[in-house]
Amino acid sequence: MKKGIVVIAGFSVLLLLMVGGDGYAQDAQTIVADSFNYWRGEASIATVTMRIHRADWERSYTIKAWTKGEKESLFTILSPPKDEGNGTLKRGSEMWMYNPKIDRVIKVPPSMMSQSWMGSDFSNNDLAKSDSLLYDYTHTLTGTEVDEGTMVYLITSIPKPDAPVVWGMQKLKIREDLIFLREEFYDEDQKLVKALDFYDIQILGGRRYPRVMKMQKTEAPDEYTLVEYDDLTFEETLSDDLFTLSALKTPRR
Amino acid sequence: MHLQLAWRNIWRNPRRTTIITIAVVVGVWSMLVVGALDRGMIDQMVRNAIATLTGDIQIHHDGYRSDPVIENSIADPKDVHNALARHLPEGSFWTARVRVNAIVSNARYSTGVTLVGIDPESEARVSFIKTAVVDGHYLASDDTTGILVGRALVDKFETKVGHKLVLMSQDTEREIASRAFRITGTFRAELEATERQFVFVNKAAAQEMLKAGNGISEVSLFLPDHETVDMVRDKLKASLPPAYEVETWRELLPIITAYLSIMDSWIFIWYLVVFIAMGFGIVNTMLMAVFERIREFGLLTALGMKPWWIIKGVLLEAFFLLIMGMAVGNAFGFASVFILNRTGIDLSALGAGAEYVGLPRVIYPTVYIQDVITANVVVFVLGLLITIYPAAKASRFTPVEALAHI
Repeated sequence: MKKGIVVIAGFSVLLLLMVGGDGYAQDAQTIVADSFNYWRGEASIATVTMRIHRADWERSYTIKAWTKGEKESLFTILSPPKDEGNGTLKRGSEMWMYNPKIDRVIKVPPSMMSQSWMGSDFSNNDLAKSDSLLYDYTHTLTGTEVDEGTMVYLITSIPKPDAPVVWGMQKLKIREDLIFLREEFYDEDQKLVKALDFYDIQILGGRRYPRVMKMQKTEAPDEYTLVEYDDLTFEETLSDDLFTLSALKTPRR
Repeated sequence: MHLQLAWRNIWRNPRRTTIITIAVVVGVWSMLVVGALDRGMIDQMVRNAIATLTGDIQIHHDGYRSDPVIENSIADPKDVHNALARHLPEGSFWTARVRVNAIVSNARYSTGVTLVGIDPESEARVSFIKTAVVDGHYLASDDTTGILVGRALVDKFETKVGHKLVLMSQDTEREIASRAFRITGTFRAELEATERQFVFVNKAAAQEMLKAGNGISEVSLFLPDHETVDMVRDKLKASLPPAYEVETWRELLPIITAYLSIMDSWIFIWYLVVFIAMGFGIVNTMLMAVFERIREFGLLTALGMKPWWIIKGVLLEAFFLLIMGMAVGNAFGFASVFILNRTGIDLSALGAGAEYVGLPRVIYPTVYIQDVITANVVVFVLGLLITIYPAAKASRFTPVEALAHI
């Protein structure tokens, strides 16, 4: 009899652990998805300044960006004048680039996907597969910490076995109000390759939002790319016409 | 009588005879060895190229060779299978592959490669890949996530067996296709460029990734008898619809074919160059020998020897010298080639330099009987021809000149 109770107790603990563990994972899944959606919004229009910093030079672009849902984005460069009108359209996992000087739209071929976007520390893949975080990873909540009085979730994201991602692991820091603080990219030996940090949280476009993003590779400490939001508004939705090849050639200002 | 006279004459001055024989020996030896080296090198290049992925014959869909994309694949390989079943000689092997350009990347690196989707079983009988695996193991037929990569690529990517690589390419709908693979093994190839260029996955995995259905890019054949290549090619060509291209390795590897076709002339030119160096030695020594014996030739003329007989005598002396030199030279040549063929000549110390010109890592010199014949004919015929000059000199000494000579 006693033995029976012990067995039942053991089982229920196991069950609890399984349910609890599962619930935990489910939690992490929702946290990531919610934060991602909070960050992207339904649709948004933004003006950002991208500063590419290198050891002996720095260059900055002003870019106007439209996004819709998880998969559609359009970027066009406002300044410097030399690069004005250069655009990038992203739809699903496909990308197109437009160069006004030669008046040509090129579809970014697979061979260029891992190259850097506009010379920054972001690769074309970072843009084209930005939603890969939602679909290609299993997220686990590994702990919490307190940062300036708010709770921060620490999440470890392991790519699903067949997912076509190059990373071995990602580690995320997400504030409890769903604001990304840091995204770390690890290789398969669990060594940090690059990290994306989010700073300067303030009210932007009517919601609390990190105004500055900084992408930095671990191996090059004096090289980084800063993206600062100058202006951001969230919309209910944007017209589908905006995310077409003709809109890429003549973006609305 | 002439023969005996000539033979005794050349041994009147053994040192000179030895020197001239050595010149011929060195000449013949270098002709044989360098010729064998060149032949060995080109043979090795051909064999490497055929074993790497070419095979004796390949079948493609029209257009694939000029634009190797998945759209130009053989959508339904049934025709090809039928033709192969009917026309292949016994003992031949064939394999079908998917072959497109792709990008391979991991967390830190990415580079362009040729993605080869293979059928592990039949591939093993046609190309080098199964025997080339040095680390990990060969692809299993049901392993759809495994990938074989070259050692040079693994080193460059700082990765190892068991780690993940992501392949990206364009699929049949012109969309970007990407898929994750795990390294099951690394292979070593004769050329480092091969190790960097090719990655191997299962054919089914490649077809799925590229949405190619049953489509294949090429069929590669291995024939038991390489001489029948053209015949088999013609038969296959006749039995396949015109939308297929059937080509032998000679057509698939134009650079090597060009090498092969200039090889004969190149070797002949080399023989001439060596002979010219050697020829001056022969003429010089023979002239010396003739001028030393002015009194003797004058006396012979005075005794009534016809000029033609004197020419014949000198030529016979040259004949003996050449024959001796050639015999020893050939013996040395064959011996050195035999030894080098056993050990091979290791060029890996040259590293990237040899790589750059496409040289194999180890050269095994090979003697072609036609080269031996050419070398000996060149030495013998030209050797006798140039000896006509000292011989003619000898025949023109008059008794009066001979008397005036001290």
